[in-house]
Parts: sequence; C-alpha cells; structure tokens
Amino acid sequence: MFHKKFYRTFMNLPLRVKFLVSFSLVIFLGGILILTIGTRIEHQTIFSLAQAKVRHDLSAARMVYNEKLNDIKDIVLLNSNRESLQNAMKNNNREILLAYLDKMRKQFNLDLLSLTDQQGKVICRPSHPEQWGDLKNEDPYIQQSLQGKIVVGSIVAPREELFQENPALVDQAFIRVVPTPKAAPPTEEAEERGLLLKASAPIIDENGEILGVLYGGILLNKNYEIVDRVKEIVYKGEKYKGTDIGTATIFLYDLRISTNVLNENGKRALGTRVSQEVRQAVLIRGQAWIDRAFVVRDWYITAYEPIKDIEGNIIGMLYVGMLEKPYIDLRNKVMLTFSSMAIASAFILLIILFLITSSIIHPVKSLVEATKKIAAGDLNHQVLIPYHDEIGELAHSFNQMTENLKKANQKLLQWGKTLEKRVAERTRELKEAQDSLIQSAKLASLGKMAAGVAHEINNPLTSILLNTHLLLEKLPPDAPQKETLELIAEETTRCASIVKGLLQFARQSPPQKSETDINSLLLSTLQLLENQAAFQNIEIKKSLSPHLPTIKVDQNKLKQVFWNMLINAAEAMPRGGTLTIETRLSPDQKHLEIIFSDTGVGIPQENLTKLFDPFFTTKSSGTGLGLAVSYGIIKQHQGTIKVSSQVGQGTTFFVILPLDTKENKPT
Amino acid sequence: MSKKRILVVDDEINVAKSIKQSILSDDLDVDLALSGEEALKMDAPNNYDLIITDLMMPGISGLDLLKQLKQRRTGVNVIMITGYPTIRTAVEAIKLGAFDYLPKPFTPAQLRSLVFRALQKARQEISEAGKKPTPPPGLFYLLGHTWLKVESEKKGIVGIMSDFFKTIGNPVRIELPKIGQVILQGDPCATLVDDLNFTHRIWSPASGRITQLNSSLPENLSLLQEDPYGQGWLFTLELSALEEDLQGLLQSK
Repeated sequence: MFHKKFYRTFMNLPLRVKFLVSFSLVIFLGGILILTIGTRIEHQTIFSLAQAKVRHDLSAARMVYNEKLNDIKDIVLLNSNRESLQNAMKNNNREILLAYLDKMRKQFNLDLLSLTDQQGKVICRPSHPEQWGDLKNEDPYIQQSLQGKIVVGSIVAPREELFQENPALVDQAFIRVVPTPKAAPPTEEAEERGLLLKASAPIIDENGEILGVLYGGILLNKNYEIVDRVKEIVYKGEKYKGTDIGTATIFLYDLRISTNVLNENGKRALGTRVSQEVRQAVLIRGQAWIDRAFVVRDWYITAYEPIKDIEGNIIGMLYVGMLEKPYIDLRNKVMLTFSSMAIASAFILLIILFLITSSIIHPVKSLVEATKKIAAGDLNHQVLIPYHDEIGELAHSFNQMTENLKKANQKLLQWGKTLEKRVAERTRELKEAQDSLIQSAKLASLGKMAAGVAHEINNPLTSILLNTHLLLEKLPPDAPQKETLELIAEETTRCASIVKGLLQFARQSPPQKSETDINSLLLSTLQLLENQAAFQNIEIKKSLSPHLPTIKVDQNKLKQVFWNMLINAAEAMPRGGTLTIETRLSPDQKHLEIIFSDTGVGIPQENLTKLFDPFFTTKSSGTGLGLAVSYGIIKQHQGTIKVSSQVGQGTTFFVILPLDTKENKPT
Repeated sequence: MSKKRILVVDDEINVAKSIKQSILSDDLDVDLALSGEEALKMDAPNNYDLIITDLMMPGISGLDLLKQLKQRRTGVNVIMITGYPTIRTAVEAIKLGAFDYLPKPFTPAQLRSLVFRALQKARQEISEAGKKPTPPPGLFYLLGHTWLKVESEKKGIVGIMSDFFKTIGNPVRIELPKIGQVILQGDPCATLVDDLNFTHRIWSPASGRITQLNSSLPENLSLLQEDPYGQGWLFTLELSALEEDLQGLLQSK
C-alpha cells in the first residue's frame, strides 16, 4: 500500500522534478557504488603495500638483531684466539686474565664476559670479579664449546644467573608488568628474567688442545640499542605529526622488554604485554603475524615473529610496527579527492541534466499552456517550437489539430445559426400541420357524433313542433299565448336547421374533381352574390392572375367554400367597405392561393384559432358551420385555409390549394 | 262516404301520438302501432287507406314494412317519416313505391298536406286510371314528385312530375329556390301552394347548385300542368353527385 501511494505521489510531481529526482538517484547510487568499490580497492592496495613493507621491515629488524648477535660472537671468537690469553691461561695468571678481559668487556660493551677452564669451571669473570670457581658444565653453550663448537643464540636467563654473571643486570632485567586489556592474564607482577644475546667459543692452543671456553653476552632487557637501530635504519627516524612512523620491540615471551613504542606519558612502554591473539599465533603456534593492531596509543600495521633459543624453543618475539595514520590519512586524502571529484561531476551532471530537461520541458510546457488556452476557448493560439524532434512534430500536429478544431468550431457555429432558423421554420410547419390535424380530427369525430345526435334529437323536435302548432291552431287568433307558442315553434325549427347543418357537415361525400379554371369558378360564384342586398355597399376589387394553371377540384364544393368566404366578408362589413379578391401562384409555384381580404371589423386574436371549429360563430344568426365546412372541403383537396386579422382593420383568408394533388390519397 | 283509416307507426309513442293529434279529423280514423310487427298485424284485417311510418325503427324497419305491405297489396299508400340522415333511404323508398316522405321535424300543416295528397291520390287512382301525360323516355324521376333531365355531366334540368298535380289542388303560387343555393337530393327545392291552401314541398331529384330559374313560371303557373316535361321546368342545376343521385331515381321508358 505504501509503495503504491509513494509511486502515485512521485508520478504527480512535475516532469522536471521527476527527471531531476530520477537522475539524482542514479548519480547518487552510482557515486556510492564507485566510492565503495574505489575505497575497497584503494584500501586493499594501500594495505597490502603497507603489509609488504612491514614484512620487509621485520626482515630488516631481524638482520639488525642477528648482526648484534654476530658482533658478540665475533668478540668472543676474536679474543679466544688471542695468544696472550692462551699464555695467561697456561700460566694460570688470573691477574692478567682479569685485566685483559675486563678491558675487552668494557671495550665491546658486553654485559657479561667469563672464562672457564677445561672442566667448565669459571676461572675469570670481569663482570663480577669476586664470583669465580663455579662450575658451568651444565650450560649448553659451555658444553658444546668444550667440544670445540662456537655457539651463538638468544637465551632466557633467570635472576640468579644474571646476578652470578653481573649483579647490575638484576636491576636492568627487572620490569614491572603493566596490566594490558587484551593480553593474557598475567602470572607474575614483575619480570625478573632476562633475555640474553649470548655467544661462546672454545680456546684452542697451537696443539689443538682445548684450554677452556670464553663466553659473553648482552642483556636485552631495557637495552634499546637494537630497537633504536631498527628505527634508525629502517625508518630513518621519520616522524609523522610528532609520532615515530616506525617502531620496533623485543618481547620476552609476551612482555615488552625493549621498545621504542611510547606510552601515554611519552616513555617507552616497557612491561606491557602483547594481545592474546598475537601471543597465540606467534608464541604458541610459532607463526609470523602481520596485521593492523592498536598498539598502546595508535593504530599500527604490525609484524611479529618468534625469537627462538639455540634449542629451538620460542622465548620471545621481534616486532616492527608502522604507524597506520599516514596511510589512513593518505587513504582519506585519496578518498576525499575521489569524493569531491564524484560530487563535482555529479553537480556538473545535474547542471547538464537541468539544461537538457529544460530544453525538453520548455516545449512541453508551452504545449501544456497551449492546451489550456485552447481548452479555455482561444483557438487562435499556436505553439512555436523551432525544432524538428518528436516534440517539434507534436507541436506541429497540435497546431494542425487546433486549426482543424477552429474550422470545425466555425462550421458548428454556422450550422448552429442556420439550425436555429431551420428549427423555427420546422416548428412553425409542425405547428401548422398539428393545427390542421387537430382540426381534421375534430371534424371527423364531430361528424360521427353529429349523425347520432341529430337522429335522436329529431324525434323530440318533431313532437315539440307538432304539438306547438296544434296548440296554436286551437287558440283564438288574439290569444296572448300565441306569440309565445310561435316563438317555440320558430326556435324548434331553428334547432332543426342546426341539426341539418350538422348532418350536412358530417355527411361529407368524397369530392368529385374535374379540371377547373379557378378564376372563372370564383367569378361565377361572385356573380350569384353580387346583386344580393348584403353586397350593396361593398366595393369589390379583383386581382386575378391570368396565368393560373387549371387544377382538379370538386367545383361544387369549392364554390361552396368561395360562397362562404364571400358571405363572411360581406357580413364583416355591415356598413360597407372593400372586398379584395386575389388569385396567385405561391412563391414556390406549388400552390394556388385564393385570397379574400375585407376591411371589416376584424377578428380578435383569441378567436382566430377557434375560427374553424364547428359551431363557432360571433353572429347571432348562423350555425357556425360555414367555415368548418369550408375547412373540411379544402382539407379534402389537400389544401389549407389560413387567416390573418386585425381588429378594426379587416380580415384576410388565404385558401391554399396544391397544384399537384395525389388523386388516390385517402382523404 | 266512409271514414278513411290511417295507421301511424312509430316506436316513439310521443311522436306517434303527436302525429295522430295533428291529423285527427271527423272523417279520419287514426290507429297507432309502435313497431313494424304490430303494424303488419293491424294492417291485415283493416287494409288502411294510408300508413304513415317512421323509417328507423328497431326490429322491422320502415323500409322492410313498406316491402312487406307492397307484397301484400301493391296499391298500399305509405308515407315515410325520416330523419335527415336517412333522406337517401327515403328517396329509395319512393323508388320502391312509397307515396312520399316527410323529414323530421315537421309541422301539422306539412303533414296534413301530405296526407291530403295521399288520400287524394287514392281517390284519383280509382276515378281516373290511365289518363295522364307520360314523361318522355330517358327522363329520371322521383316517383310521383320531380324529374331530372340530364343535359350534361354537370348540368341538369328539374321539373315536377304530372302525377304530383293529381294529388293536390290547383297551384296558385310557387316559391323557387335562390340562384347559387346548394341543395341535396331529397331536400325541398320549391314549395307549391294550391287553391285548397295546402303548402306542398317539392323534393329535389338531384344534388347541386341552382344556376338558373324558370322566370316565366311565377306568372304562368299553368305551364306546370300543361307542359310538365317541357316549359313547366323549375330550374337548372349544376350537378354535384349525379352518379349517387341516380340510384334513387327511376328512368322512364
């Protein structure tokens, strides 16, 4: 659910932001990847280089160590061959021996130098002159040298032995054990043993007879000659930010007895012990150890190897360490350079990206703007993109679409305008058709009803009429009721004539049509009426088109219509006026129009629609059937009657007949 | 002279009674029948001189009654009373031998003149059988009433049959229709007043519009009887439904 929501949020962001976010993500992830890989490679490279160097340095340290050992051997060997020494031994002159050896010891800076006889009994010990006569035939060095061998090697000497050889060495050897976090649990509070570099050589006379053994050595506890020399030779005493780059240490077992590693107080860190891990690898398993390690105060790249005595027992370790900091700093520097380069290039990439997306987004934006404008109705808006890439093409298509839209819109507008007109026209036509349909329906249903009503009404009318007359006949001529009865008789007769008219109207026989000249039909009808009293004050104007075609009509029925029209006109003008009769072709040449205009009283608007309804009349006399019958007749001819009127000005009837009637069309 | 016997047949008792009241006189016996069946029953023993019957009745209609009476005795005199819608049927009835018809509603005078004519005819038939001017051949006529001479498809001339005058007194006045007037077959087209002061309505034999009147008639009424099929013509008609009209007319041979 969340990732979907996140995706939707992302997709709703502006295009440019999406571009930037996506590309930034790629650059960021790519940068991290490159940095990680780069760091790893750089780390490995630098550290393997450093390790190779420290391994090499360890060999150099070993060389220094062995050189020192050789020095001791050389001194012992050189002096054992001295003629003066052999002579003094043969003469058993201790005074001379002592003076000579003491001189040698001091000259070569040995911590111990002793001479034994053939049995291994010490005869002279300048480092402890009072101590002599002790038997040293247990000492492996002495044993082997008594057999003529030169023996050189490292050895651990207990406090008693040190005291025996040189009482000053007891103090030099004493080192207080400092608690060290990662080291093995200490067994002693202090170390009193000493690590000696020791060599012994037989004294052989000219006859090859072994006269005794000369042995000497130096104590490595608190003797910094070797370690400082290693520092000087290997690391040239280089310092990094006040700290020696290279350090060396000699361990007695796991205890630092000679070192130039400094502790918190800036003093040589004697008495501290190696970590359990290193102890395990080097002291117990006898392997070399190369790794980074935290030594006292700093991280070092370190190398350890075991120191063995002449019998091959591991008795200590030789150590060199290279301050890691320069490498770390180097690494950091490289990394910093690398990172800043990565960041700089990412920044440059982003700028380029920004510019590229701008060049893409700007046209897209202007397209979006255009779409909005067009949606708002501005169809004249055009997008200007001068490039021919996909977006340029899109813009071109867009402009074309807008153009088409504009055209379509204009068409639609125009169509809409004419549509209004057409709708109005059609509405009017429909209204007319509906009106005439209603009129026809009215007539038809009325006809049916009329026939039934007329028949039923005739019987009572008959009784009324007969009996009224019978009463009249029985009354004397001057009877006052006579007038009333005559009125009844009259009105009953009128009822009868109404019924008759109704039936005439109902009984519309199909028209009998013949080719007719409408003008002459109209004139002949007019002739019948002209002399009647109603027409005496009426001026008749005729405007008959001479070019009318003959049409097929029922002449009698049409005459009846004309009769009605003329009578109506005359009755509308009781005080005289003008009756205009006009015939003409309709503008579309499809209809013949006969127009009767009078200058009479006119018909109120509200009556115009009822005009053709049966029994609608405004006259006190008359059945109100004249116009209804006329309408029915014209309908039978598929024509129509229209009327326009203005109260006080007159009325015009338009009788409209189609020129082309369908003979077979049911009416 | 024995009393004349008249039977009035109408399904509406009021109408029948009114008719009886209108014609009742000292020398007339008037019976009433309320249906065609009843009329047939009553006529059998009585042989009425005149039967006045409504055309539209439930059961046996006026037309059926006429046919059955005519079958029984050809000389029976029947007057058909009819509503306007059945005028054509009435005209047909005349073709079948009815004496005349009377459209509803009518006045006692109209009825009486008709009754008079009918009874007059019966008398005449007895006294002057065979002596009458015969119509020229090809003439269409409404039996005992009017004739129609068809001049063209559109034009016809109308006059009164000579028989008609046997049923009335001497004509003293005639009223002709107006020119332009539209009349239908069976409608009254003229009225004739005789010296007995009866007013007789003349039925038009055809439908159409009056186009011309015989202007010499009013001054010389004798033309009617002297030359009934020639100079005694009444008016010319512009025919509107000739084909239909001919169905109700007989043609002389």
